[in-house]
Amino acid sequence: MRTGKKLRLKRIFGGDGRAVVVAADHGLMLGPIRGVVNLRETLTRVIQGGPDAILLTPGQASSLIDLFYGRDAPALLVRADWTNAFRDKTYTLPARVVRDVNTVRVEDASALGASGIVVYLFMGLGDEDEEARNIETVSRFSRECEKQGMPLIVEPLPMGERVTKANYVDLVALSVRIAAELGADALKVPYTGDPYTFEKIVKATDGIPVLALGGYSGVTVRDSLEVVEEVMQAGGSGIVYGRNIVQAQDPGEMVRLVKAVVHEGRSVLEVVGASKKGRISLTVDPAACVGCNLCAAVCSLYHDGKINIGRARLRIIQEWPSGAKPVICVQCGKCISVCPAGALKWGLKGNVELVDGLCTSCMACVETCPQKVIRFDEERSVPLVCDLCGGVPQCSEWCGTAAIRVVEKGV
Amino acid sequence: MLKKVFEMKGGYAGRVLSFDLSSNKPRVENLDEKEAFLLLGGKGLGALHLYRSLRGKEDPFSPENPIIVSTGPLTGTIAPTGTKFSVVTKSPQTGVFLDSNCGGMFGVQLKRAGYDMLIVKGAAEEPSMLIVDENGAELRPCKQWGRTTFETIRELKKEFPDYSFLIVGPAGERLAPIAGLLTDDARSAGRGGSGAVMGSKRLKAIVAGGGRPIEVYDVEGMKRAAWVVRRMLRLHEVTARSLPRHGTVNIIEAVNEMGALPTRNFQKGRFEDASELSGEKWRSSLWKTDKGCYGCTIRCGKIAVLNDTWVDGPDYETIWAFGPNCGVKDARAIAMANYFCDAYGLDTISTGVTISFLMELYEKGFIQDLDGLKPTWGDDEVFLRLVEKACKGEGCGRMIEQGVARVSRKFPGSESFAMHVKGLEMPAYEPRAAKGMGLGYATSDRGACHLRGYTAGQELLGYGGGVDPYTVEGKAKLVMDRQDEKAVIDSSGLCFFAFYAITLKELHRMVVACTGQPYKDWYEFMRIGERIYNLTRLFNVREGLTRKDDTLPGRFLNEPMAEGPAKGQVVELEQMLSEYYRLRGWNENGEPMKETIERLELSELL
Repeated sequence: MRTGKKLRLKRIFGGDGRAVVVAADHGLMLGPIRGVVNLRETLTRVIQGGPDAILLTPGQASSLIDLFYGRDAPALLVRADWTNAFRDKTYTLPARVVRDVNTVRVEDASALGASGIVVYLFMGLGDEDEEARNIETVSRFSRECEKQGMPLIVEPLPMGERVTKANYVDLVALSVRIAAELGADALKVPYTGDPYTFEKIVKATDGIPVLALGGYSGVTVRDSLEVVEEVMQAGGSGIVYGRNIVQAQDPGEMVRLVKAVVHEGRSVLEVVGASKKGRISLTVDPAACVGCNLCAAVCSLYHDGKINIGRARLRIIQEWPSGAKPVICVQCGKCISVCPAGALKWGLKGNVELVDGLCTSCMACVETCPQKVIRFDEERSVPLVCDLCGGVPQCSEWCGTAAIRVVEKGV
Repeated sequence: MLKKVFEMKGGYAGRVLSFDLSSNKPRVENLDEKEAFLLLGGKGLGALHLYRSLRGKEDPFSPENPIIVSTGPLTGTIAPTGTKFSVVTKSPQTGVFLDSNCGGMFGVQLKRAGYDMLIVKGAAEEPSMLIVDENGAELRPCKQWGRTTFETIRELKKEFPDYSFLIVGPAGERLAPIAGLLTDDARSAGRGGSGAVMGSKRLKAIVAGGGRPIEVYDVEGMKRAAWVVRRMLRLHEVTARSLPRHGTVNIIEAVNEMGALPTRNFQKGRFEDASELSGEKWRSSLWKTDKGCYGCTIRCGKIAVLNDTWVDGPDYETIWAFGPNCGVKDARAIAMANYFCDAYGLDTISTGVTISFLMELYEKGFIQDLDGLKPTWGDDEVFLRLVEKACKGEGCGRMIEQGVARVSRKFPGSESFAMHVKGLEMPAYEPRAAKGMGLGYATSDRGACHLRGYTAGQELLGYGGGVDPYTVEGKAKLVMDRQDEKAVIDSSGLCFFAFYAITLKELHRMVVACTGQPYKDWYEFMRIGERIYNLTRLFNVREGLTRKDDTLPGRFLNEPMAEGPAKGQVVELEQMLSEYYRLRGWNENGEPMKETIERLELSELL
């Protein structure tokens, strides 16, 4: 490997061999989507978060090059090809046949100041000639990059009519291996949806760094970060996030959060502050609740190892059709104060705790509870009180609409 | 009286409840572990019990035709969207197999009562309701006979606040063949006339509830697998954005663009006012809130407010059946018609398609008027009057409630535009603009149904890579795979919509963790699907179904599409059908061959 290549790769992957890359090349493929319009402003905010590299098209790279000035600036990656593959039927001009052409040569990217180039490698096209041409392009880039000391990042994607849900993971594995064999220095790979299969993909590359790409952006910051966490667990070397970051409320903050997971190896719970340090409490947003009862099912599974929504430490009041309302323990402590046997006490997280062996089954807590949320366990003759699951309440964790949330409790 | 039996390791309740209405006797049996392994649950196990209960050619309204409510192993668990149950019976519309997949709390409550499956046979002497809970089953007289579904729900909720119901409306009570069932949270098992079958048993409602826990074999594994699914649902464009925000109707403009939105009884493939009915429009006008079934983060259910009344839905199929299909573009009229149909218990697709058929009969001069009304395309007022008549069974409504197939028999020459397969009305995808859908309609086990081989995702919307909608090549395989996949999804207890984001792999992981059943890999599930499809085929063959029933209305076969992107297209059905039979291992007449039955281990089940 030439020293130029080594040096440039180090700019992207830094000391720990991991990278957070922000992709902002969507305009070339998808047109003026949200986030890439007024790119200068967006990227200025992105850079405040300190990403390792930013992927741009040649045109954007030359007009925004001042963003890359300075010692701590991110590395510049240049998209070296164009494709119509992503213009599906929802676009004004849907692609009829998938085509992929290269737009710049390696020396052009070099002249732009790039620390690497990114090209597609499609697998699963109906037209095998196009597939062959695609391989030819990638291998030509590979030779040129070797000569010029430019890192080549290949983006293998299952694409075309021969892709099915069933063969998707296998196609990713096949194409990452082909890319590795063709001489790619790093790979930008679609996340296969779960860590089990992604681990296989990472292994298939035999040690070449794998960056996962996001695809659609998550509904919440946390959804996006969970993908990052799983990628890292599966052995990935980092993430390439586009819409997840450029379309975020605060792109800079989003980059910082992703970096915390990738470089510092912190858990998502820690990063988004779900596992709060002090005393916590639950709060509900009845307008967001759709009444699906998943919280109740998870609550019972967590506490009893069986699913029984009738034994959950919370209730969902169904008021069809106008909606549903979660009723949860608000840690008011009335049950503790009425318990004559001293069987209920405050826990460390501000929760109610049942002390084994002291309960006399007098039902005072059940009758007193202003929320009517304490149920009585007939089998064991004790009340079922909300213990906030040791600090990470499962109801709030699993809620699909953020109708149940954790808040820090003032002392 | 009832034994507690728990041989299953998890997921399943492990018991099947049979109730004979004639003799008022319940019987409880263990769920057979082998059968559950081979057919999973839901549709699959329901189909097996239906096959065994009948001998063939019985009248669907006869007491021996059972109505089976069957849940899957993931129903009521923490598997996201694990809400579904199937209603399985012999359909009065088609005379063949019927399964109707439905969401809401009812399936979960049946499981909480301690049963995977409820089989109701016989007929009650007086209007009754069946109460199923942990104490067993009890038949009680039902005062609500003759009342609308919503009134019935309100009254029963006072009596049984913690239970869920499956009820028939007045249409089902008078045996209207297109009558469906409604749950207490207004989800419906609409298609194929299951409501009429329940009406023929003089059973107004099944009330279920209880507090039995659902065991989980591998708690940690289940939590992990379900968590991955939950996240995938929240990351996929369709399940995280389109469906939650715009409901199922989010696709209407894309389908219209492809020339596949059947308009005016399938005369055209594009509706000029489709944008008036887009998800965005509904969201900004009538829809007020979203509703999720049990365990569902997708929440495709929408609630509209109409004249101070809370109205469920409508969904894409309903909007199409009453809207473009009848030339109606007024959202309020569509929502109103949907409300009528829910209140009286009629299937919205069948109602809409029958009315559009009458409109075309009128246009072509077969009829001069209907009770003095002139059914012209797009006349909101006449349209609503017709829906109301159909719901209440007045005048020409008695004809509409019979469905397209029976109406067209009265008008010789109308067969080619009577939009049904095997007697079940066509849903909202034009088969000339998506040939796979055409083959799917023709070969579906319950008649024309978009949800038996849903190829529209690939053919029209570009999901999963997308395929050419107009070619017939490869469609037989595509349809077969989609049918098998759907059969297994309907048997698992999960909702089909989850599968925009997840695959059978995730389903496999959850089923194994939940039940502990030793399924080796996800493709075993495809084989279960194939087994179920062959089982329902065997049932239909026994009812006398042959190749000539696997067909489409003449309009699709002989009338080239008049305009739009699919201009000039017809469905080349025979070619696809022969290939489909070959791939399925069926003979030229559409009967499963002996080797196929052996290969799928069906012979030991029957």
